[in-house]
Formats: sequence, C-alpha cells, structure tokens
Amino acid sequence: MRWPALARSTHKWLALIVAIQAVFWTLSGVYMTAVHIDIIHGDRLVKAVAPPPIAMAGLVEPAHLAHLAPGLKSATLDTQLGQPVYVVQAEGGPALFDARTGQKMSPLNAEQAAARAKALFAEDGAVVSTQYVTKAPLEIQTRPVPIWRVEFEGAWKPTFYISPFTGELVSRRHDLWRTFDFVWMLHIMDYDDRQDVNNLLIRVFTWLAVATAGTGGWLLLYSFRRKRRVRKAVA
Amino acid sequence: MTWSPMFLIRWLHKWFGLVLGLQFLLWSVSGAVMALLDHHKVAAEDAILPVAQLPAPAGIQPLARVVETAGGPVTRLQLKPLYDRWVYEATTASGVRLVDAASGALIPIDGSKARELAVARFSSQAPVVSVTHVAKPTLETRDMTLPAWRVQFADPDNTAVIVSAATGEVLGAKNDTWRLWDIAWMLHIMDYKERQSFNHPLIITLAFAAAWLALSGLILLFRSFRRSDVAWVLDPIEKMTEKRKTARVEAG
Repeated sequence: MRWPALARSTHKWLALIVAIQAVFWTLSGVYMTAVHIDIIHGDRLVKAVAPPPIAMAGLVEPAHLAHLAPGLKSATLDTQLGQPVYVVQAEGGPALFDARTGQKMSPLNAEQAAARAKALFAEDGAVVSTQYVTKAPLEIQTRPVPIWRVEFEGAWKPTFYISPFTGELVSRRHDLWRTFDFVWMLHIMDYDDRQDVNNLLIRVFTWLAVATAGTGGWLLLYSFRRKRRVRKAVA
Repeated sequence: MTWSPMFLIRWLHKWFGLVLGLQFLLWSVSGAVMALLDHHKVAAEDAILPVAQLPAPAGIQPLARVVETAGGPVTRLQLKPLYDRWVYEATTASGVRLVDAASGALIPIDGSKARELAVARFSSQAPVVSVTHVAKPTLETRDMTLPAWRVQFADPDNTAVIVSAATGEVLGAKNDTWRLWDIAWMLHIMDYKERQSFNHPLIITLAFAAAWLALSGLILLFRSFRRSDVAWVLDPIEKMTEKRKTARVEAG
C-alpha cells in the first residue's frame, strides 16, 4: 500500500470509532464555551445584598453555645430573614439557634425553608414547589441530605436547595446548569455520576482522538496539490 | 468538475482540517493528558489533613469584646478552632479580623504563623523550603482570596500550601501534578495568559469550527467505506451461505 492510501485508510478506520464522540466533544464544547460559566453557576439568581451589621447587644454569648450544642466544633453568627442566628456544627450534627433566645430552630419546616429561599431569590417568580428530599438527586449528588428543594417560577426552572439544619442556601440549580451537566457527561464520557474524568473509556478515546487528528494531519500532506503546469513542448 | 454535496463536504473537511488541525490535535493531546492525571492527585487531596478537633475553651471572650477588637461593626462572626487555639473570624466592612477567642487579642497572620499553620495541616513530614507573601493573583492562587502566604515544602511533589493572610485558613495546595495538569488545561481552554476563562471569543469561534470539522468527518464516513474495505468480513460469510445453498439444492 502506498503512503497516501495508508494514511487515508488509517484515518478512516480510526474515525469510524471516534467520529460520533468527536461530534459530542465539539458540540458540548460549543455549549460550555458559548454560555458563560457565571450564568451556569446561577450567580444572578441570588440577591447580591451586603449583609447588615449585627447588633450584638442582648445576644446569647458564644460561651453558652457549648451548653446548647454539646461537642461544639464551630459556630457562626449570621443573619437569616433579618434575624440574628447561630449556625452550629457539633457532635450531633449541624443545628440552627435563635441568637436572641438560644432556642433551637432546626430542623426547619417547609414554610421556613421556602421563606429563606424566597428572601435570597433575586427574581420575582413565586415558589412553585417545596419538597423534602431524602435521597440526593444527581444535580446535588455531593451534598448532604435530607434537604429542602425549593423550585421557583421563572426561566430555566430556578431551584434552591436549603439545608433544614442550618437554614443556609446549599446549592442553586437551573436548566442551563442541568444542560451543562449533561454535556459535561458527554464530554468526559462518565455516564454514571458525571464526575470521574479518569475513567477508562475517556482515556482510550482521547488517545484514539490523538491518533485520528495525527493521521488527519498526515493525510493533509497529500491532499493539496499545485495545479499541474502544462509544460511547453520543447521546441 | 462537479461540486456535488459530498465533494463540497470533503473539500470543506480538508480546509477546516488544515486551519484547525493543530488545535484539534492539541485539544486531543491535552484532553488525553488530563484524563491520565489522577484528579485526586491534581487536587492534592491527600496533602491536606482535616482540621484537628479541639475542645471548646472554658473562657470565651464576649461578643462586645470581639467587636471592639475587630474595630468596627461585624456582619458575620465565626467561632472555630484554628490549629492550637479557638479563634473568632470577624467579617467587617474593612475585611476579616482574626481574634483569639480566649485572650481577645488580634492574631496577625505573618510569615511564621502561616508556616506553622501550613505545617500543621500538611500530611507529609517534608521540611519547609520557603514562605512567600502573595498579594497579586498568580497561576497557583488565581481562584483564591488574597492576600495569602505560599508555603513551599520539599516533598517529592513540590507541594505548596497556600494560607490566607486574613483568616489563617488553608486555601489549597498545588503540586507538580497540578502544574502539569494546568499546562494541559491552558492548551485545552486556549487562555494562555490567566488559564481561567473558557468563554472567550477565540475558543467559541474555534469550537463552532471544530464542531463542523467533526460533523463533516462523520458525514464523510458514510461515503468512505466500500465493499472492498469489509471484504474480510463479508467474503467468508457469503462463502458460507453459498455453500449451504448448494448443499440444500443437492439434498433437495
């Protein structure tokens, strides 16, 4: 077999294996580059308000927290719905306390979770549904459960996840993020949990792609010809 | 010469290949490198130990004292262990202040403190090579809140532990695996300066072009295979059915 024929044949056979994945790689690449990552992260879904200074007078002193939550690991004095609260990490897990009375507020019910989500939501849409999720859906697979899932009316189905134990916004999702996650799965070829960038399939296919691109370049050497000049007959 | 659709696609595939070829190869190679490098290693997950638990001290300074030491209204206040003591991390309008929860004194994170905190969280026993102050984003610290201290260790991976100059928290660790990965990442996202953005016009344009290169290649495949390409499969099958047929005719 001559070199051009060999180049063509290798490129062709490699492409037969890689072609569909190459289309997936490039189309998912188009989506991931064209839609800005800040939009994907949903930055604009959360109200950007500077937290107000906390009036300390009359609040439960941190020294008292060890009694409220045995095995105290850390505590954060924060503002939720305009009220000072302590978010506490302790041996018994995370918990939320009213910073003025020391009363335990967690676990939060549906109304309390939805109220916190609504207060943080930057758009006008109303709450469509509030669900208590005990098994983490794929879109928050790395986050702890149980968790409140609060979905809003609005473009791309914005959804906030609120921890029932801390009252904090744990995650925000919308359809553009969900699409990104799907094309990311296609890009890294991890069809299980869309996280493992080192799976065997991607390792094999990336090198096949290297070979396809390489043989393509090789084939290019034979693909461009100067137009044959007509030699003048020597007189 | 007739410009049939297939001929046009072949012509376009060739020219797109000529223009994009090198970048396509770089995407493949950098992708292959990133797929090979274990992402746990890249993230230096094993380099950083979890925060050591410390029982809460008996005497914790009252809130009023913390606000006074922080020097302004506090919008968020965290109480937590930091290596060998409990601290308050007070967020004020002019930045984060670190206050000793037992004594009420301000804790400045200078080079030697940063070094102490980095050594405490680093999983290896390797000695410290250098401690440098980082005020402006570098490739290693581009995603971190600065200023910070960069504590370089002499382990085989050349790990650098980055410690916040404001909070004393370990912000992350960078090793040689990450540095290699980061070169592949740069080539992959074509942001050669900051290695951060994959949403710039150059890559968006080339991504569209590459999509056409791949798609035209896929279309061409349908015309690229002839019977002679798969004769090694088809010939034996046909021979077999032929044989059966004759056998049947002879039997009938």
